[in-house]
Amino acid sequence: MREGSYMPIFLKMSSSITLRSCARYLLPFTIPRKRSILCSAILQRYMSSKIPGVSYPKKESTSPPEQLGLDGWKITMKSSVQEEDVSPVSSSKDEDPLAAIRELIEMWRLLGKEVPEHISEEELKTAMECVSKSSKKKYLKYLYIKEKKKKANQIKKEMKAATREKAIREQLLETTKDDKQQNFLFLRLWDRNMDIAMGWKGAQAMQFGQPLVFDMDYDNYMKPKELKNTVSQLLESEGCNRRDVDPFHLYFCNLKIDGAYHKELVKRYGEKWDKLLLTATEKSHVDLFPKDSLIYLTADSPNVMTTFKHDKIYIVGSFVDKAMQTGTSLAKAKRLKLATECLPLDRYLQWDTGTKNLTLDQMMRILLCLKNTGSWEEALKFVPRRKYSGCLEISQHSQEFVNRLKKSKTFNSSPKGSLNIHTQKRWLK
Amino acid sequence: MMTLCFTGIRSFPKLWKSNPYLGLSLGHSYLSLFLKDCYGIREQRKWFSLKTVSAQNTKAVNLLVAKSRYVRKGDEGSNKEVSSDSHLFAAGAARKRSQMNPLREDHALPPVRNTIQLPTKPLNSEEWDKLKEDFKGDANFASWIISQMAHSRSSVDVAKSLLAWVAAKNNGIVGYDLLVRYLYLCVFHKQTSEVIDVYEIMKARYKRLEPGAYTLLIQGLVHSDRWKEALLLLEDVKKVLVPSVRNYNDCIEGALLHQDVSLAWNLYQELLGRDLIPMLKTLKAFFDFGKNVKDDQYSNKLLDILLYLRNNHLYPEESFAHSIKTWFESAPGEQWKGQFTTIKESGQCSGCGKTMESIHLSPEEYEFLKGKIMRDVIDGGDQYKKTTPQELKRFQNFVKCCPPFDIVIDGLNVAKTFPKARESQVLLDVVSQLAKQNLQLLVLGRKHMLTQHSRWRKDEMKKVQKQASCFFADNISEDDPFLLYATLQSGNHCKFITKDLMRDHKACLRDAKTQRLFFKWQQGHQLAIINRLTRSKITFQHIPSYNTVVQTTGDSWHIPYDEDTVERYSYEVPTKWLCLHRKT
Repeated sequence: MREGSYMPIFLKMSSSITLRSCARYLLPFTIPRKRSILCSAILQRYMSSKIPGVSYPKKESTSPPEQLGLDGWKITMKSSVQEEDVSPVSSSKDEDPLAAIRELIEMWRLLGKEVPEHISEEELKTAMECVSKSSKKKYLKYLYIKEKKKKANQIKKEMKAATREKAIREQLLETTKDDKQQNFLFLRLWDRNMDIAMGWKGAQAMQFGQPLVFDMDYDNYMKPKELKNTVSQLLESEGCNRRDVDPFHLYFCNLKIDGAYHKELVKRYGEKWDKLLLTATEKSHVDLFPKDSLIYLTADSPNVMTTFKHDKIYIVGSFVDKAMQTGTSLAKAKRLKLATECLPLDRYLQWDTGTKNLTLDQMMRILLCLKNTGSWEEALKFVPRRKYSGCLEISQHSQEFVNRLKKSKTFNSSPKGSLNIHTQKRWLK
Repeated sequence: MMTLCFTGIRSFPKLWKSNPYLGLSLGHSYLSLFLKDCYGIREQRKWFSLKTVSAQNTKAVNLLVAKSRYVRKGDEGSNKEVSSDSHLFAAGAARKRSQMNPLREDHALPPVRNTIQLPTKPLNSEEWDKLKEDFKGDANFASWIISQMAHSRSSVDVAKSLLAWVAAKNNGIVGYDLLVRYLYLCVFHKQTSEVIDVYEIMKARYKRLEPGAYTLLIQGLVHSDRWKEALLLLEDVKKVLVPSVRNYNDCIEGALLHQDVSLAWNLYQELLGRDLIPMLKTLKAFFDFGKNVKDDQYSNKLLDILLYLRNNHLYPEESFAHSIKTWFESAPGEQWKGQFTTIKESGQCSGCGKTMESIHLSPEEYEFLKGKIMRDVIDGGDQYKKTTPQELKRFQNFVKCCPPFDIVIDGLNVAKTFPKARESQVLLDVVSQLAKQNLQLLVLGRKHMLTQHSRWRKDEMKKVQKQASCFFADNISEDDPFLLYATLQSGNHCKFITKDLMRDHKACLRDAKTQRLFFKWQQGHQLAIINRLTRSKITFQHIPSYNTVVQTTGDSWHIPYDEDTVERYSYEVPTKWLCLHRKT
């Protein structure tokens, strides 16, 4: 390379581009392959050396080395071997599609798209089975987020372990100082005692508790992902119920043995599944209980729940509905001619956004709270805060209601909704 | 006083919890707190009611504004056009309706956080270093700056100087993402030689690329002499994904550019075979190329494209319509003459006077649609979702016993058309007006309409029942499916009245073909109330007698097209037409 041995030609900016593109044809690359390494070394020196780089507003020079300054990287890029580690597979022309999609994901990752770094064979197969490009991308993004979370947890774990070790070492130093005898009343077996106590309570609920039914007849309305979410919510609800002062007696009705639902539940609970203090049955709720004591809870119901009744059996559809199949559970209740009710969300809350379908664990908490306290204000605190902007003051409203009742001389003991009075009359018949 | 105090105390913790940022001083007594809360709520209610009033006011103002705008628009054309403009399914009608909505907020896009002035000329390495020091962000500087450049379409040279700087810092290696963004700039600025350079580099370094780069390379290569290689890239895409219509479009454009007609058609067939809907650009390219081809086979294929537009209810854009016109007029010896026109309400073309195809369905289509509505919309796999089997039986018997109707009325929809008037009053007015014309009426409603209420007067509902047959569904049933069924059951002459666009019911139909049939039937049978001047003068919008679709009689073509200035929603049809006929 004849650096510095040329006469720089100064041109106006406007004509530089055309000339440069001409220069390409005038000066074809005559650098032999052998010398490319040398070339790149020189290039680096050239770039890092303090040659007064053409600075603007000076006129641009379009001499060969300057040209090389802009285009030099192409040479190294072309000449360097594929050091980019793209899963070395057999270089046969008809490679299997799995490898192809693996490479595609790798290229996406290089581009900075949200795809996982490592992917297992099974996940690859799932990705391949995705019908459209967008569904592939969605699935890969899900894997990417999962991977990120896993990594973050790993880091947290290591940090914790480090701090713990440090603490233990310090404690060791301390304990050698004062080796006093201390008197305690209990051994530290709290967790176990809690579990046992909850077990007793659960057994009691199995005998004397109010039934609460989860209707499991929705497995054919759900995609695998939704089903997984549902099972997670069920686990959460069962946990809430277990910890409560006065738990429900849970029923999982319409649970088909070896159906997708059952399999997922057994997978998540492991060997605890057979020791759970609840009733799982393939029978329907209408076979187990009298029809007139059943109330199906669904957000589509036209009837608003006014009070929690301790002599009724509430049914919650265990159904995560992301495809917005409105009216599914209402249709089920209509078919079996069951009473339906929905939570009085609009009466107590200034609803803002979001669906009025609550998750199963939220439902569970609300029902437990109603059962124990009977106050709607308390119970509806379990509705996610993002969904409503504030509470409506009901005390005024109910005060007026009581007054009206007094006027109409039908006032009996406690101000309850008209619906309730109605049912009481029916009970007397 | 005492009780108040107690309730105050009881609700105190709740107050505390729900308003943690009230900033209460400890000096406050519970009582005042409680009272304040109550008043606060009451005031809020008042405020809400005020708000609604103001909303109505703004609505009224908006209406006035819209009306004035409307009138001004109407000045340009004849008065007749104004009335046809307000048609429910005419292009741009939905846009107009939304402009009357006061709640529309124009969300301005947040300004792009641009901390660095993008260079306009190539920089040297020190200048890049300095820029990097100025950059405060957690992203990789080079990636960030090149994506900014791609956004603002910087010149290729600036990007190249950046790549050179990165390579110098990195042993001559440039990352894949930088290469792809650089490639984007090269393709955008049509720097074909640069595209080919990047293509060589990518081939040397990577075994396989991803769809983004493939798309860019195909787009860049088809204009060069090495356009055949774009086809190889298309094959590479096919190995993993379905190529996009854009990929096919670029390849077809490239093939046509290099006079390889058969290849272009093959690619087009392959695209259709994959159930993709071609870009209108692609179809336009075939027509543009056709000007210079004098070949019957090619002409027939272009006519096939027009039939494809017809069968799939696609409408060309304005420029495409011009291309079609030019191609027809360039045909030798056939003497085609094209003009841009509108169609009169009678269904006659203003240009040549020919009558357009009727909007009515053929008997086979009619039966087919009836079956589909019954199966997918009303039943839908679970009769309990929209109604109950008992109710459905009751309804079917009811429809069988009655004579076929002339008009089926969606009672609730009609009654709520005018928010200020009483529901039952409006319904009665509509029914009486139609009954005077000696029409067989059916009013569909829900049972709650029969219970005495301030908005539903019993005596008025009795009068309605005297003048029309009525069917009241359960309060939790849907009434629209019944409306559709009753109308279809009565026969082709029967119309229905509702303002509902029925989009949710259209969506229940499984395939696109049935949906199009439904839409055609809906256009021909739906009456919507436009306004009510007096109690006995309610005007309905006219029903178009013709079908808006590409159509031919052999020696004439009529092609509806989309204007560039009008935003058409998917459930609307264009109003402008291209009329082509042979001179005789």
